[in-house]
Amino acid sequence: MANINLKKREVECKIVYYGPGRCGKTTNLEYIFKNFGKQVTGDMVSTDTEGDRTLFFDFLPMGIGKIKGYDIRLALYTVPGQVKYSATRKMVLREVDGLVFVADSLKVRREKNMLSLKDLHQNLKEYGLSIFKVPLVIQYNKRDLADQGIPLMPVKQMNQDLNRQLKVPSFPASAVRGDGVGDTLKACIKLTLQSLKKQMGW
Amino acid sequence: MDTKSKVKSNLQEAELYKTQGLLNEALEKYLRAGNLIRKDEQLARNKKLYNTVIQKIRALKAEIERIDSSPDTKEVSESVQNIIKEKFAYGEEGDARALEGAIALAKFGQYERALREFRDLMQQENVKVDSAKNIIRCHVTLDSIDDAIRQYEEWFRSNAFTPEQINRLRVFLQSILDKKGIDKTLPHKEVEAMPAESPAALYDNQEVMDGEIIEPEYVEGEVMEDEIQDEDIIDISSVEITLEEGPQKGQTVEYDVSFQSGRVINLLVSSSDKELIETLKTGLELRKVHFYSPMAMFNGEGVVFSKSKIESGPKQGDYSLDIEIKSIK
Repeated sequence: MANINLKKREVECKIVYYGPGRCGKTTNLEYIFKNFGKQVTGDMVSTDTEGDRTLFFDFLPMGIGKIKGYDIRLALYTVPGQVKYSATRKMVLREVDGLVFVADSLKVRREKNMLSLKDLHQNLKEYGLSIFKVPLVIQYNKRDLADQGIPLMPVKQMNQDLNRQLKVPSFPASAVRGDGVGDTLKACIKLTLQSLKKQMGW
Repeated sequence: MDTKSKVKSNLQEAELYKTQGLLNEALEKYLRAGNLIRKDEQLARNKKLYNTVIQKIRALKAEIERIDSSPDTKEVSESVQNIIKEKFAYGEEGDARALEGAIALAKFGQYERALREFRDLMQQENVKVDSAKNIIRCHVTLDSIDDAIRQYEEWFRSNAFTPEQINRLRVFLQSILDKKGIDKTLPHKEVEAMPAESPAALYDNQEVMDGEIIEPEYVEGEVMEDEIQDEDIIDISSVEITLEEGPQKGQTVEYDVSFQSGRVINLLVSSSDKELIETLKTGLELRKVHFYSPMAMFNGEGVVFSKSKIESGPKQGDYSLDIEIKSIK
């Protein structure tokens, strides 16, 4: 449930970028930080460790205007993708309002994508949330690497692997170039706000 | 594709995976290229190529080793700590939320900052004892038991707490020391016997006089069974669970509590207890549980809140089990 401050008439929604290690979650946030200046309301904060891996989370605050007189704020987070940071992922996921699952298009990462989605499913379940009900979009990242002759999974195959049952909006993307980053975020915000309106009875 | 082309393709992929930070995938490709070179008579004569690949493999292995051995937590900047404190506290505004923020800092391994926050919060009467307990927890987690004892003795001498409060802290720390097999008896203060005010007192306001439990006031035979809140729970040191399903149905298992956050207790289950791990599925209701505190035992019910495999550290492979206490009788 979003964080609602009746006194200040503010609603803060938490959107979490989830996915396997090195799939491009942080790159998504970096692109948003650099290119969505109007909506970004503060600095992007990162916690990197050895080899540029996210240790705890990245954080980016945004504001997207008013609904029914309430200031709608977004807190964008990434989780650490490495398997060993399972406890941290779960902490970051708590009270999530919307999710972006970033999948790595590289063929060699096919299994990691599926394991990470399973991990998300399990962690949501432990917070009493259903992956089928939570606002979720899937992004198939690193499509640009096809230009370099590296084996990528076809989008159709990725949809079959990850989205066959979920049937959520999905977007091919290249976070380093920015392709699909905005579309992914907008779709997630749309679903998150629909869910928020329902919760608030708006 | 001839061997030369295969080697070239593997090396190209390896380089790309390396730039993506996918070091294990890069290593696999270099190893594959190395093997192809070794097995091909013509390519094997090109020592320079083979040695280059070997050097790359060695460098990658060293890099992977360096990353794997890097600490799982580190002290982060104050701005990140502020975000943890503000954004990972979910309760109502006020001291309770501030306490939750400080606990979040500890959970993220920011112990020095957490300790500062807990010390500040000790000025607030409603979270004073909880803050003090968390200071002890931080010292224990940091393996500085001596600091925990020193801190307790300092509080004991300073009259910062009422005799009842200091004895609650004593019981809390003493149970940790006993569990760790540390032969140390903490000093305690005499307190007057006070009748408990409410059923909830059974769980949290139970105090000790000369090592004896002051029994709460309730009509004999009357069963107290409430939906309980975090603040109602005393510190649980171990649990005994009677299994109602699975291959060990009817048997009881006993586990020490490794960590407790309000009404959620954490147990570590050895990877060798495969049947038990299989049985204790997330969401499983545990209807027959004995909760042991340093002072008393309660019957109750719980539910398996979460179960996760420990991926690193000395307990790697074992399972971490969170059980939410649903009721105590």
